[in-house]
Amino acid sequence: MILEPIRKKRSTEDDSFIGMRIGVLLIVTFVLFGVIAFRLWYMQVLSGDTYVKVAKDNRIREVKVEAPRGVIYDRNGKILVENRAGLDVGLLPMDMYDPKKAPEQFTAEIDGLAKVLNLDSSELMAAYTKAKKDPYVTYVVKEDVAENPTVAYIKEHSELFKGIQVENSYLRQYPFGAFATHLLGYVGEASQNDLDQEQFSTLTPGATLGKDGVERKYDSFLRGTDGYKTVEVDAAGRPKRVVEDFAPTPGSNLWLTISSDLQQAAENALVEGIQLAQANGAAGGAVVAMDPNNGEILAMASFPDYDPSLWVGGMASVKYKELTAPQAHFPLYDRVIDGLYPAGSTFKPFVATAALAAGVITPETTFDCKGSYKAYFQTWKDWEAKGHGTVNLLQAIAESCDVYFYNVGNLLYSQSGPVLQDGVRKFGFGQTTGIDLPGETTGSRVPDKYWKLEVGKTAEDKKWKPGDEINLAIGQGDLLVTPMQMVVALSAIANGGTLWVPHLGWLITDASGNRIHQFESEKRGELGISLDILDIVRQGMLGVTSEGGTAYGAFKNFPIAVAGKTGTAQKLPEKDYALFMGYAPADKPEIAVVAIIEQGGHGSSVAAPVVRRVLEAYFHTGSSSIIIPTTE
Amino acid sequence: MAPSVKVLQNARERRQPLGFSLGAYLRSMDWILLLATLSLVTYGLLMLYSATHADTNISTPFFYVRSQGIGLVIGFAFLMMISVINYKRVSRWRTYIYAFTLLLLVLTLVPHIGAGNSTVGANRWIDLRVTRLQTSELAKLLLIISLAAVLAEGTALRHRLRFVIICVVYLLVPTALVFLQPDLGTALVFGAILICMLVVWGIRLPHLGALAGVSLFAAVLALRILPALGIQVLKDYQLQRLTIFLDPERDPTGAGYQLTQSKIAIGSGMFTGKGYLDGTQTHLNFLPEHHTDFIFAVVGEELGFMGGILLIGLFAVVVWRAFRIARLSDDMYGRLIATGIAGMLVFEVFVNIGMTIGIMPVTGIPLPFMSFGSSSLVVNLMAIGILESIHVHSVAGQTR
Repeated sequence: MILEPIRKKRSTEDDSFIGMRIGVLLIVTFVLFGVIAFRLWYMQVLSGDTYVKVAKDNRIREVKVEAPRGVIYDRNGKILVENRAGLDVGLLPMDMYDPKKAPEQFTAEIDGLAKVLNLDSSELMAAYTKAKKDPYVTYVVKEDVAENPTVAYIKEHSELFKGIQVENSYLRQYPFGAFATHLLGYVGEASQNDLDQEQFSTLTPGATLGKDGVERKYDSFLRGTDGYKTVEVDAAGRPKRVVEDFAPTPGSNLWLTISSDLQQAAENALVEGIQLAQANGAAGGAVVAMDPNNGEILAMASFPDYDPSLWVGGMASVKYKELTAPQAHFPLYDRVIDGLYPAGSTFKPFVATAALAAGVITPETTFDCKGSYKAYFQTWKDWEAKGHGTVNLLQAIAESCDVYFYNVGNLLYSQSGPVLQDGVRKFGFGQTTGIDLPGETTGSRVPDKYWKLEVGKTAEDKKWKPGDEINLAIGQGDLLVTPMQMVVALSAIANGGTLWVPHLGWLITDASGNRIHQFESEKRGELGISLDILDIVRQGMLGVTSEGGTAYGAFKNFPIAVAGKTGTAQKLPEKDYALFMGYAPADKPEIAVVAIIEQGGHGSSVAAPVVRRVLEAYFHTGSSSIIIPTTE
Repeated sequence: MAPSVKVLQNARERRQPLGFSLGAYLRSMDWILLLATLSLVTYGLLMLYSATHADTNISTPFFYVRSQGIGLVIGFAFLMMISVINYKRVSRWRTYIYAFTLLLLVLTLVPHIGAGNSTVGANRWIDLRVTRLQTSELAKLLLIISLAAVLAEGTALRHRLRFVIICVVYLLVPTALVFLQPDLGTALVFGAILICMLVVWGIRLPHLGALAGVSLFAAVLALRILPALGIQVLKDYQLQRLTIFLDPERDPTGAGYQLTQSKIAIGSGMFTGKGYLDGTQTHLNFLPEHHTDFIFAVVGEELGFMGGILLIGLFAVVVWRAFRIARLSDDMYGRLIATGIAGMLVFEVFVNIGMTIGIMPVTGIPLPFMSFGSSSLVVNLMAIGILESIHVHSVAGQTR
């Protein structure tokens, strides 16, 4: 413990290289420390940004907060589609068991979840593979899961269901069930096909969007902007604090031109009409009502329909198979815009307009009807076997005399150029109406010689023959129209010659109810036909519901004058299709209605009463039950 | 000619009375070494607090810091005591010290006396009731002292290969005992100490070459040849830990997890760090063992490149002073002890930090003065005490 005097001379044990030896060790030391310093410089200064990002990914989880979708109202503010709260179950792969490290737990987790959610294990595995591409994001595998017992069970077994997330979501709710199904459409998860479209280019996979109907057409208004929360989590995935919180912006509300009362009446009338003709084999039909003065659709019904809430949370494949089976008569398909029908006699007013405009006939032109028409070694029958006698145009329309129009057809055939085709195309036949709904059919057709040339197989088939023109003159042959086209064309007659673009969108309001957008009615064009000519045709159509007219029985005692036209279209090998179109009041039209009952039989006895019911509802002149007229 | 400074110093020393003089003692201390050491332990306590204060399973945020602080006080007491003792007198006890070291290491391996991490079946400690002694830590120091004595005495024999071999075997026995614990890291530290001491001792270059060759062969034997013959020298987890640093992505959630998270922590600290107590990797528990072997990752994350360089700088000062003491020591014994301590510190610092930044394998070597663990802290402070003793008793006079 005592400090000894310090010896000053170097020890003799040393060799003379001692300083060098220690120097070597010192150099080695500084080289090693230098390596660390350079490595730190490289990691922290040169590539620090990369590590910062990884550290952030480690601890930050972004949680989407779904924006509620806009509500859809009818024109009177009645809610047609709204939202309800629901629970989604999803996979967060980075917190789940690793299939490589813990294969048993992983399998147990997948199988367990499949059982609880009533899914296929293989289905869930496929979802997991997809989810794995972005392991930090929850991938929803089942929407609208019941809180009890499913979600409760998942939460109770958190050890088994590691990384299984339950999220709040908004689901569509339909207060009236199967009501206005086709026009409303439905929402669902975006498909790759959807995402490829310009309209949805900003969306990410898994987003919810309108799949059909106005839900799709007005998706950009209805869909809000999702908010998100960024949450800091610890290594075990437990949330520690909220870093950012962006509230979602709810979608805007859509108001439709539809009146739900009228829609209900139209749907009821359609069902009644079909039931009337059930014995005939009727199973489907369509009704559409439009304001002829501006193109606003007041009601549009297609039968059979289905409950759109089947789509909520994804339609079960069994259910989908059921709905697409032939015996279900295709409820998924909107007959108003997708149904292609022969117009039958309802086409006669348009043919008459074309013939009058071309000067082929005058209102005074008469033809003698003996129940059939013979020409070109062929015989065409009138629906009235005993004939109508000598009839002028007004009578021909009112009584729906076929022979008169066979003659007109023959006269039109002898004109140079497709006078008949051009004449009826002015009403929009053969073209889409431009209604604000997705998926309107482009299959509509007004046949002419060019069409025949294209589709005909033999040289004989390729010829446009007089018989083709004669058939077209009574709305038969190869003519195909949609109910929507008919109501637009009918409206043009009713309103004096304006072709409107039919539309369902009326208003957009924001979440607090302020009007932020109004859809203007759009004109597609004018017929360019004198009012005198239209007046003659209108008069003929008024005659239809007057004494002696084909729909006299159907509109007997109806207090408001209705102008219309019956139709009984042949569509072999099926039974006749019943059609009726009409507008009212005849002198100052407010509403135009078209009804078609597939295999319904006679237009006058099946379709006309349906239209009457709609008009009764519109004018509040209801009668207790559908009137079944007895005469054609 | 005017009297030189040296002459004046000698005159002053001559006036010193025999016996203990506090003034002289304090004057002859290596203050730079002491200050650097104090800075390191303070740095260590601050980082330990940051790493552990938010732990949920401790009663007070100071739980670990307090425990480490007790170690610090004891260690400093040892440091001061040892620095007063003349190291030269210890040399004659070398055989007893060596025997005591072997006894400690053997006892550690004996069931019921030795204890440790039962999950990997390793015995690291002897339970002393009041505290647990990690015997391999103490063994490092005791071996430096005893081996230095053997080598210093055999200076004349350094051209004799047989003597060199005896010295190697002398160290190999305790190394084997430590390896059996199994504590591969400390066994490697023993090796590093031996090499450094032999170099300064004056080992002939061919002998050094032969030693390196044999070591290499032993390594290949242990890692490749014997496993191929079905004899496992290293346990699976040891081998896994040794090699995972080459490619931590091979198993990012398993063996490579710690390494990956450590690199993320350090890299994301960037130049100035995320701020003291603000390391996300540490506080959200992404980085396991952040208060023991991976304490440097906390430094790197919270204090960035600057904090890391400061720490390395402090270590560099300590090591520089140790080598300086070795160079200036007036006898071979002091020279070898100082070299052994310097070599031990350099090796531990490099391997530990190298591990956290992914350039060295995971061997479980703590960072001196920084990692949580009283045994390591006390032993390292004792080592500094020995350096001070050499400085006081052998160097101080020569520098004046």
